[in-house]
Amino acid sequence: MRLSLAGVLGVALLAIPSAAHAAPCPTFTNPVFMQVGDTQENLLKTLGVATVADPDRALTIVYVTSGSCTNIDAIYANTQLASGATVKYVPAGLNPTAAAPTCQLAAAQALDIANSALFVEACTAAGTPPDVVTFHEGPKQAYAFVVPEVSNETAITAEEAYFAFGFGDQGGVTPWDDETQMFIRTPTKSTLLALAASIAVPGVKWQGFMFDKSTEVVAALQTATKPQKAIGILGVEVYDKLRGSLDALAFQAYDQWYAYYPDSTATATDKQNVRDGHYFPWSPTVWMVRDDAPHLADAERMVGLILGTVSPTGYDPLAIEIGVGLVPDCAMMVSRELEAGPLSVYEADEPCHCLYDSIATSTTCTACPAGTCATGTCVHGYCEE
Amino acid sequence: MKTLMIAILFVVACGKDNPADEIDAGSGSDFDAEPIDAGGPIDADCVTDPVTSAQLMNACTTAQRIEKHPVLPLRLPDGGLPPLP
Repeated sequence: MRLSLAGVLGVALLAIPSAAHAAPCPTFTNPVFMQVGDTQENLLKTLGVATVADPDRALTIVYVTSGSCTNIDAIYANTQLASGATVKYVPAGLNPTAAAPTCQLAAAQALDIANSALFVEACTAAGTPPDVVTFHEGPKQAYAFVVPEVSNETAITAEEAYFAFGFGDQGGVTPWDDETQMFIRTPTKSTLLALAASIAVPGVKWQGFMFDKSTEVVAALQTATKPQKAIGILGVEVYDKLRGSLDALAFQAYDQWYAYYPDSTATATDKQNVRDGHYFPWSPTVWMVRDDAPHLADAERMVGLILGTVSPTGYDPLAIEIGVGLVPDCAMMVSRELEAGPLSVYEADEPCHCLYDSIATSTTCTACPAGTCATGTCVHGYCEE
Repeated sequence: MKTLMIAILFVVACGKDNPADEIDAGSGSDFDAEPIDAGGPIDADCVTDPVTSAQLMNACTTAQRIEKHPVLPLRLPDGGLPPLP
């Protein structure tokens, strides 16, 4: 049995009046129109506050959120944001923990950038990409099985998840044997597809209560009627903001001997296990740009900032990514080539392990404000060995 | 407060003099998986100098790790996983 919010609420949902129309959009300074997964919203808000004040080239992030597979389809087909569509944007001075303001587009608008929070190939309906689309692999995004803080559970094995989410009520997994308490996402979302690949249950076969948005999964977990049986799925950087009410489960992959948290402990924030391969469910964020994007130069600059290949004045995009719970490529010690694919040893040309630790937790690395090191190489302000 | 239904182990495992004195890792996986070349003693509970994917996942680490052996009634007699419905 698959459940969905619309299915349960049925006509009641249809009776809810639509939200009031947003105000017309203001005139943006160098807008970059993006369609991203909702796991990337914390990044966009935090980065957007910096880019809109960038003295080198101010850029305004204007965005909508949707599932990764939907975003891929949109950039492949050059689907425009419709005239009158409600979009979010990041104004100067926005508190990134607050909701981004919304506005209504006066005219249809082509996308400059689309984002997938997993390997594009994991969206099986994506088809062959048009030649005009370029792909850029950005920071890594981990995914987690999450339970209410009052739950007694601390870990889940891939086999448990296989039976719980593949068989639902009939899976015989204690305590996750009640589909009304299993809060999942729809099969176009990276959160579901990435975890699906990790437990070998195809996205379309998942059992549970489907939600469109991460925020809805969060609310369901926080208000679960049977919290000991409740379990949901979230991007780890979404979970990181909610540690007071939710707990991420340690995950034990197939062929793995123990379960591990994304971080070195349940309470740490270092993403050590994502970075070194002990935590298996992670994916790259992929940033896609069309050659015919309406604001191509600004779109390419924005992607360069996200990838760390553009060094702006006054802020460090990599530090922002680390701060919101993502892992830049330069902080990874493993890599993979496909969704939930095998891991291999990895070291970036310019590693940023010290920078990562200095922001996420602490570092014993030597700072190199003058740009030189007695040993190692000065990268992002620290001597990397 | 979490009930400790499972063992939570903090291990600084790299360079152990005698891995056999540490916890029983169940010889690795207890499910239907390909044998793992752990690059060390078969009863070692972590892998030093990991190279392959399985070795990286089971590499020695300072991280908190959790041992879990769930009862899964639908598991096949040979330990494998049945097809999805």
